[in-house]
Amino acid sequence: MSYLELLKLASTEAVVVVTALVVLAIGLTTRREATGVTVATAQGDQNVGGSSSARTNAICSFIAALGLAIAIGTALMLPRKATLFSGMLVITPLTSLFKIICMALAFFAVLLTKSEKSLRHPGEYLAILLLATVGLMLLVSSEELLMIFIGLELLGLSLYVMVAFDKTDVRSAEAGLKYFLFGSTSSAFTLFGISLIYGMSGITSLAAISEKLATVSVQPLLAVGIVMTLIGFAFKIAAAPFHLWAPDAYQGAPIPSAAFIASGSKVASFVVLGKIVLVGFAPLHGDAAWHAMVAGWSPVLAALAALSILVGNFVALAQSNLRRLLAYSAVAHAGYTLIGLVAGDREGFSAALFYTTTYAITLVGAFGVVALVRRETAGDDFSNFSGLISRSPMLAGCMSIFMLSLAGIPPLAGFFGKFYLFSVALRADAGHGLLWLVAVALFGSLISLYYYLIVLKVIFVDEPSLAIASSPDHLSPDLLQRIAVAVLAAVVLFLGLMPDALAAGLLAAMP
Amino acid sequence: MPVWNIKMGRPPSVSLRGHRARYCDIVQRIEQQARWGAHAHRVLAMATSPSQTFARQSTFSVGNKFHQLLFGEAPKRTRGARVLPRMIAWTIYLTFAGAVLLILLPRPFARWIALFTTIAGLALGLIAFVHTSIADLAHFTTIVRVPWVPALGMNYHLAIDGVSLTMVLVTGISAVSTVLFSWDVEHRQNEFFFWLLLVVGGCYGVFLSADLFLLFGFYELVIVPKYFLIAIFGSTNKEYGAMKLTLYSFFGGMFVFAGILTAYATAGSLDLNELSRFQFPGQLQSWAFPVLFLGFAVLAGIWPLHTWAPTGHVAAPTAGSMLLAGIVMKLGSYAGLRVAMNLFPQGFQAWSKWIALFAVIGIVYAAAVALRQRDLKFVIGYSSVSHMGFVLLGLATANALGVSGAVLQMFSHGVIAALLFAVAGRMIYRRTHTRELDALAGMNLSGALPFAAFTFVIASAASMGIPGFSGFAAEITILIGTWKTYPLAVWITGAGIVLVAAFTLRALKQSFFGEARPSVLMQEGRVALDLDWNEQQSITPAEKCGACLLMSATLAVGVYPKLLLDRIMPAVDAMRFLK
Amino acid sequence: MITLGDYLIVSGILFAIGFAGVMLRRNLIIILMSLELMLNAANLSLVAFSRFRVSPAGLPNYNAQVFVFFIITVAAAEVAVGLAILVALFRARQTTDVKDISELKF
Repeated sequence: MSYLELLKLASTEAVVVVTALVVLAIGLTTRREATGVTVATAQGDQNVGGSSSARTNAICSFIAALGLAIAIGTALMLPRKATLFSGMLVITPLTSLFKIICMALAFFAVLLTKSEKSLRHPGEYLAILLLATVGLMLLVSSEELLMIFIGLELLGLSLYVMVAFDKTDVRSAEAGLKYFLFGSTSSAFTLFGISLIYGMSGITSLAAISEKLATVSVQPLLAVGIVMTLIGFAFKIAAAPFHLWAPDAYQGAPIPSAAFIASGSKVASFVVLGKIVLVGFAPLHGDAAWHAMVAGWSPVLAALAALSILVGNFVALAQSNLRRLLAYSAVAHAGYTLIGLVAGDREGFSAALFYTTTYAITLVGAFGVVALVRRETAGDDFSNFSGLISRSPMLAGCMSIFMLSLAGIPPLAGFFGKFYLFSVALRADAGHGLLWLVAVALFGSLISLYYYLIVLKVIFVDEPSLAIASSPDHLSPDLLQRIAVAVLAAVVLFLGLMPDALAAGLLAAMP
Repeated sequence: MPVWNIKMGRPPSVSLRGHRARYCDIVQRIEQQARWGAHAHRVLAMATSPSQTFARQSTFSVGNKFHQLLFGEAPKRTRGARVLPRMIAWTIYLTFAGAVLLILLPRPFARWIALFTTIAGLALGLIAFVHTSIADLAHFTTIVRVPWVPALGMNYHLAIDGVSLTMVLVTGISAVSTVLFSWDVEHRQNEFFFWLLLVVGGCYGVFLSADLFLLFGFYELVIVPKYFLIAIFGSTNKEYGAMKLTLYSFFGGMFVFAGILTAYATAGSLDLNELSRFQFPGQLQSWAFPVLFLGFAVLAGIWPLHTWAPTGHVAAPTAGSMLLAGIVMKLGSYAGLRVAMNLFPQGFQAWSKWIALFAVIGIVYAAAVALRQRDLKFVIGYSSVSHMGFVLLGLATANALGVSGAVLQMFSHGVIAALLFAVAGRMIYRRTHTRELDALAGMNLSGALPFAAFTFVIASAASMGIPGFSGFAAEITILIGTWKTYPLAVWITGAGIVLVAAFTLRALKQSFFGEARPSVLMQEGRVALDLDWNEQQSITPAEKCGACLLMSATLAVGVYPKLLLDRIMPAVDAMRFLK
Repeated sequence: MITLGDYLIVSGILFAIGFAGVMLRRNLIIILMSLELMLNAANLSLVAFSRFRVSPAGLPNYNAQVFVFFIITVAAAEVAVGLAILVALFRARQTTDVKDISELKF
């Protein structure tokens, strides 16, 4: 295989990497001037450094967004099917679709970055964000354990930095540290698990592992390997009990980072988790049915799902900070999505992917609203949202769409997503064996409705608190960001009304 | 005991015989049509039979998909008279379009948009009522069927039969009168009518859906706007009442979801017509039916789970109470009939006596509680629960008469409850700022508000089941149906009817015809009624129009119930659980 | 004769020690070192598997050894990131003790 051909097939990743480097270079060169000014005035005049940094921010954001747009264009031109280096990188309709989805999510995260005032090094931040996007794409498009591990680490290391990026806020560094500690511990688990799986099968390609596992009997070492591998992914998707980092990271991180962790990272993790369990560990599926539990990975995932749904929803009830609430609800949603993987099969996988994609879009939008409200009111507790309807009906409307979609109210995407997931789970075997899991999920979504409604009550019913009403920063229209939020809300509504647009694409793309 | 005597005094067999004769005629015509095949409609001057409509569904093309969505099946072939009934699908589109317009257009248009969309909905319902042949209404006849998510077998599928047409009519009537009674809402007007139209549109959707997913979507769609309607615009304890109502609704929704998923996973289809032909395993029916029916019955206010209804009604603004009692509670009973009973007939047979038991307890219990209430809205709220008990009892009889009576009662109660809430919430409360019966008793309201008094008398009479009003026609049909299945229940229900009469008369007397007791007012420090009774406080024309619309509806159906029963009975008789 | 099992036992013990260190120690520097230990435990087991899974031609399976090189690189990056975050936190808090880092709470 010639390098030219390689470049053609990996052009999407290459474009994003080049964009990252360009953004980094621009950030570094313009940053020097800004630093000079700031040093000269001895940090006295914040305005000078601030406006210069805002300009840098705008240029870098524009280039990053442009790069992502071009990369999406190249992804559209990829061949339907190709394999590089025996499965190190594969191109299938599924991987192309999710590359595009991941880049679109990154695109919106970049738009969120544009208005983030607290980032003093926007060039570096955006470069890291783009590198994390490359990590997502590697994860999505690999069917080989080594490559998956590298993708995971590239993503993880970028995200640790992104979470801790805001040096003005001590909570950011603390969130970064917690994320880093949990993340690297769990990736060590995954790595050890991979090493055991490699030891048992002698190979690192998923399809080959599946063939090997079908012939050998299950040994304890292999079981340990599989469970340890799953732990790493349970951490990435924030499934209970490996979710402890999530509330801190969601609350402490700069908003674009939180949005990116909640969306892109989660989507890619589900794609690769689905590939690993459904392709790699296919012979060890087991059975999570109530009456006939058979050991395998699916009972493990089923237990994780049930625990996540219960823990996430119940703890979310007690939250008074919107970002923390979103974090706990993310735990619950990870649980719902896992149901699709437990059900297994093409249908289950596509249901899980539909759900996680719409969830990611919703969360990016919700974080967009949080970012705008935070700019105006300097906080993201419930009290900052009170009476949002009178301050900005558009934002309130968009937020209600996002919250109601998360709660699974028609005609929004979350409703169809839940119906799809649960119906697939029930159809998975003739005896409705997964009914227990669906019942837990339905119960969980009933609970979740309460706290989503509380958020909406704060926005629609409560009177705006006086401190906010008199805030001088009230009139700072950030048109681009508002448009982005509105677009995301429209997408959520559209996917609810016409779910076929995504669902049919997913089903067709399934191997 | 006058009411009791009146009710039992009239020989029930007359109306029964009338129904039977009419119904036999219809059945004969349908059978004849079936014998003669596809040409029957020309011979009988009837239009396409339902079976033909189904046959055409497979031949749709993407090109006319949109046309089909808007104008229904087979656009080219149908003549004007056929298109008109199909236009009933537009009730949904118009209502939602009105809701969208309300967000976009400025405030001065708000109430007019709401009025026009609701009137258009009612008009479409009436056109369909006039132009659709009774034979078409005997089956769940497809109006629109467009593939939606083919991979999961979901269709955008609307259909109509006599039952759903009745429900569409009551929705239209309640919606128009609700808008008229909300004419002077000033606070966040656009938003108010937006939520209101969402509720109305969702109700139209539920009544016309022939696809389980679609039906459930509309069903859940109704709940959230209700929350906002109550929590933003409500009065007493509004946030608690709204949240309680919403959580109860979704608690029921959870069971409905489980039941629907089970049906879907077992039969592999979401089409209600297909599902109602599918033979579900008996063991599955025995547990899936109660799950599904219980879920729906929560919204219908079944006895142990009814407590959301009074608190919700009291907390809601007048429009909210009217919609809630008028149509939203009907969603539960309608869906219970359309989905739960039709899909799982064996499960229904096994559980029907329990439904009857709960229904009878609900009738008596709610009436007894209403007798003790001091807040006028609580009285009406509990009376709603009691009346919905009749609906559930009618459904539980599992015979054509009882179930048809239940559908008629849904219509009747929708109109009457809206009227009662309109008087209590709008005509009285807005002017006196109290709903306490003791306080109202001292105000001599019948003198101050003669029109309101007149309306309330009519509404009370209808609610008590005086002959000549729709309540009588419905309840007597239900009781005759019940007599065949559960004779004992009729006797207990009789006691319930006495209680209903008692609390209605008590409320009527205390609110409008009380003796002036100034001491009460002084003690509680309420100076509610201004001494200078000015023009603004008299009944407005909008209120008069709304009240007249509702009163004429209850009278029309009361005097000539065959108007609806002719359409309801064949449709009910075609349902599977009767066979 | 040292067998594959022996290597795996050692690697398992190393992993357990590393995990215990992450869980039990309070000092962030030591936690970072424990993380390294966990990664190296995985390295050891990979190399052992590679060495003992000899192909018919008598060559070890080099896949795993390539894997190990990648892991070493990743581990270095991980330490760099970890230390950077640590420094950022230390500047704000003047501490490396996890007990003191409790701004964000349930």
